[in-house]
Amino acid sequence: MDLVYKIVAVALVGCIATIIVKPVRSDYAVLIALASGVIILAMLVNYLSSVFDALKLIINTTGISGNLYSLLIKIVGIGYLIEFTAGICADTGNSSLGDKVLLGGKIIILVMAMPIVTSILQIIMELLP
Amino acid sequence: MGVDIIFKIAAIGILTAIVGQILKQTGKDEIATLSTLAGLIIVLLMILGMIGDLFTAIKTLFSF
Repeated sequence: MDLVYKIVAVALVGCIATIIVKPVRSDYAVLIALASGVIILAMLVNYLSSVFDALKLIINTTGISGNLYSLLIKIVGIGYLIEFTAGICADTGNSSLGDKVLLGGKIIILVMAMPIVTSILQIIMELLP
Repeated sequence: MGVDIIFKIAAIGILTAIVGQILKQTGKDEIATLSTLAGLIIVLLMILGMIGDLFTAIKTLFSF
């Protein structure tokens, strides 16, 4: 529960530091925003691993094939990274670059999600008489 | 991994700005630009280290 306070603290301190440094040296403001973003993400990463263990348990009990689970985890990871990078691009002001990163992420996730779609279709075909 | 890194970066930023101003006043302009550049490089190296740790953590967690 204390993670919430940590995240809020880092975010607020980062914003205030950005405000202070912006008039003095504007390029450091972006670096501070980037650094605080990295800190928050680092805190969240090990917090997320407990969710994945529970997910693995559910996947094993329901008998869905294992590689779907790892594919799902990879897609979440890609979304995580793409969101992080797009945020940085928007911070530094070139939002068009951020949109291209988002587009690339969507395409990669679409390509990776194809096997899931085909396996679902197969399951449905088996159910039909 | 805490708030202190943000304070360090802010401190380096302000320090390089002050050192740059002082050097400019005393007429040594090229050393001023060098000092601001050095400050920037130090901060970038710190941030690169943090991003490297983050990416290894993500790689192990998401089993890339």
